[in-house]
Amino acid sequence: MLVSTLGVLMGLLALAIPVAATLALLGFVLNYSYSIMPLHMAIGEIAWSTSTEFLLVAIPLFVLLGELLLRTGIAERMYRSMSYWLTWLPGGLMHCNVGASALFAATSGSSVATAATIGTLAEPQIKAQKYNERLFLGTLASGGTLGILIPPSINIIIYGALTDTSIPDLYMAGILPGLALAGLFMLTVLIACLVRRDWDGEKVPVSWSTRINGLVDLLPPFFIFFVVIGSIYLGWATPTESAALGVIAALGLAAGYRRLNITMIKEAVEGAMRTTAMVMLIIIAAYFLNFVLSGIGLTSQLTDFITGLGLSSFETLMAVILFYVVLGFFMETLTLMITTVPIIAPLIIAQGYDPVWFGILLMLLIETALVTPPIGLNLYVVQGIRKSGPINDVIIGSIPFVIAMFVMIGFLIAFPDIALYLPEAMRD
Amino acid sequence: MFDRLEQFGLMIARIGVWSGGAMMIAAAFIIGTEVVLRKLFLITLGGADEMANYALAISTVWALSFALLQRAHIRVDVIYVLLPKPVSAVLDILSLLSLLVFAGTLTWYGAGVWQTSWDFGSTANTPLATPLWIPQGLWMLGLIGFSFTIVLLLGRSLQALVGRDFAKINEIAGTLTVDEELKEELGAVERADQIHMKNTQETKVEAA
Repeated sequence: MLVSTLGVLMGLLALAIPVAATLALLGFVLNYSYSIMPLHMAIGEIAWSTSTEFLLVAIPLFVLLGELLLRTGIAERMYRSMSYWLTWLPGGLMHCNVGASALFAATSGSSVATAATIGTLAEPQIKAQKYNERLFLGTLASGGTLGILIPPSINIIIYGALTDTSIPDLYMAGILPGLALAGLFMLTVLIACLVRRDWDGEKVPVSWSTRINGLVDLLPPFFIFFVVIGSIYLGWATPTESAALGVIAALGLAAGYRRLNITMIKEAVEGAMRTTAMVMLIIIAAYFLNFVLSGIGLTSQLTDFITGLGLSSFETLMAVILFYVVLGFFMETLTLMITTVPIIAPLIIAQGYDPVWFGILLMLLIETALVTPPIGLNLYVVQGIRKSGPINDVIIGSIPFVIAMFVMIGFLIAFPDIALYLPEAMRD
Repeated sequence: MFDRLEQFGLMIARIGVWSGGAMMIAAAFIIGTEVVLRKLFLITLGGADEMANYALAISTVWALSFALLQRAHIRVDVIYVLLPKPVSAVLDILSLLSLLVFAGTLTWYGAGVWQTSWDFGSTANTPLATPLWIPQGLWMLGLIGFSFTIVLLLGRSLQALVGRDFAKINEIAGTLTVDEELKEELGAVERADQIHMKNTQETKVEAA
């Protein structure tokens, strides 16, 4: 049963059948082959109850928030302002790429959006200020991945929904690892540029008054972050409510910058609803598949199988990490997450690991998947921005940062409190 | 005939997306108001979450057709991109067929959910006691529309297959190339930039 299920799943995906349809068809096939009950008849009920789950309302709202912010121009002001403060370091603007990505990630729930936004702003400076192209591109692709680790994060919401884990806890747990990872990225740039002076760009002198005046442009992203995450931390709002507040705040900012008009809203809405429809259809199919999987006893069969292997909890964890690293090379990350989490997360949690901690570990693993070929979406985003030159430049440039991600994964395993400290502090 | 139908379909799909988006923005304001009232004035209106839930269900299915027409439903195309055009065209049609099986089943049993609420006059187990056939009816309409869109695209693709026009099939139902996907993603950023540059230039002119 286990082998045939995996076979059908991989087969349909390999045939490029849409992911949502793949999951649903797999559910139908398994139901037909192994169940005495007509489980497929429940698909209507499951779809209705899934798509009226208040937690999932956060998905369209966060996507909309991102689409609106993209169109307010705050990212460009923020990038420029941050460059005034960071360019004196060896590595110059590359630190700014990481810093701006981290700050943008604190307002956006998507890694692709983060890489696309910061990448578009930064890329022209490679030639203008003579930076080492590969390393510079690497900072853009990897910096962008911070989008899903630093809250708000759409991937974290999906993980929380699939595993019944508290989103506020997960959000708080993502902050310190996110900052630490950004720090590791900067350290990587610093070391690289100290070893190879010629990789650094030309320094542009900046006066202190420019720096101070520029600070005002850092306020809007902090404002959005405070509205969205602050309201959760203070217990004023649930994640969905905070997303609603974020949308209102973004509309306010757009109005303040005189960017608010019907065309802009239409575009933001089209983008947001397209993504929402795509994500929700996969989620509905996944909920149905999970219903069938537990209905025919496959979930417990898998758990028994893993337990039967007699691995220690640490060995199980290592096997799971290896599993994600390998699949991460070949699978699109959202698909990877939605298809595997309902099965893998219970296994890990049964071994005594904290579900919040594992959620953050999973985000880190997905970040590595985003910048590893052949299917690493952020690599393609950054490559698409520069329009010329081989994609190998982006891939090679990202390698040092992939290493940094694995160092971070090691830290997180050795010191789980990096993730768990803030959620506990919030509860006190 | 198909061309007209497709134009019509796209128009309906856009209207679906905009109304869905309007619902979500409205939901954001209703939820936001509720949070502020609750926090500052200790007043609970109630019902904001329920309305938002219906908005999510309805706007999701109303946007499904638009997402399909824009080829936004994710497919894993590692192998797909390596295949010769005629083979990938067949896969495109298979993928529409598989979506039809899924959407058709979903629509059928989704209609069953609506039917049950209608027959028994079920109301939501909430203070609002919303008659469930209303939101479920709007939801069912979206599902029916999605199934129709798939049938329409399937018809178009089969027509192209008979004419051996593989490029057309790819255009209707193929996966987006990385370039096309990026145009979507980057379009917004670049437009925002241009407006910004224009604004800064205007400010400079004013200052001068």
